[in-house]
Amino acid sequence: MATSTDTVTGRIDGARTELTVTQLLAGLLLVGVLGGALLFAQEPALHDAMHNFRHAAGITCH
Amino acid sequence: MFARYAARGLKAGVVAGAAFGLFVAFVGDPLVRLSEAVVAGHEHAGEAGGAVLASATSVAAGGLWGLLAGLCFGVAYYVAEPALPGGADARSYLLAAAGFVTVAGAPWLVLPPQPAGVEPALGTEVRLFWYATMMVAGALVCGLSLAAYSRLQYQGRTAGLGAAVVPFVLPLGLAAVAPAAATAPDPTLAAAYRGVVASGQVLLWGTLAAAHSWLARRSSVATRETLDAPASAD
Repeated sequence: MATSTDTVTGRIDGARTELTVTQLLAGLLLVGVLGGALLFAQEPALHDAMHNFRHAAGITCH
Repeated sequence: MFARYAARGLKAGVVAGAAFGLFVAFVGDPLVRLSEAVVAGHEHAGEAGGAVLASATSVAAGGLWGLLAGLCFGVAYYVAEPALPGGADARSYLLAAAGFVTVAGAPWLVLPPQPAGVEPALGTEVRLFWYATMMVAGALVCGLSLAAYSRLQYQGRTAGLGAAVVPFVLPLGLAAVAPAAATAPDPTLAAAYRGVVASGQVLLWGTLAAAHSWLARRSSVATRETLDAPASAD
């Protein structure tokens, strides 16, 4: 295992064999939903409540 | 193996999220309120009724931000580990520095953190475009820098480090052609504000790297002990 995974391509291949498509999609969905909610949530109450966080983190797009 | 790396990133993200949540609670949130009071005229409808709720949500968002950064860090570390120079510690800190450059450093060249209350000069679409462009440029430049270092490190450390610096002209050049962001009415407030926000991001990525390298070292010690123990051979 060590020899096949000590290159970047080896790591990507390793992830490909280790993860099912469902797991991959679930992971991407989690990251997308969390990131989207923190940065782009336009629902007014949520957006305003996180206003101070965005300013404190230096994210100026709102 | 992938799951182990993702979980390690998530654990480091819990630590970094706690640190950044505390930063938002005790530094960021009060500073934003102060800045809005100083600049004035920038009302947020939802805040009048629930200042405490808004602060609590912002703190929670800070924690989740750390968690998200940690998960992405763990996955990026899994892929990039073989390519990064140095031991587990140096690799964690290098990747965290790349994370800082991608998420904060490079975009801030075009869109520096503005004191809360200052109206942005550029439209939302334009700012989103430049933020995304500079994030891509930041990630690209870190990769190029790593590639340049790997090529030239055998000709000496100075040559390697010198080559690693060269790609950073790309985001600087992009920032030079980008439209100018809003100028704050109060330069002293803007400078203090930027300093505090930058410190917060350094805290976030620094904590993430420290926690991650500690976890990585602990796991490699555990692996060695398992390998050394004759009873575990099967």
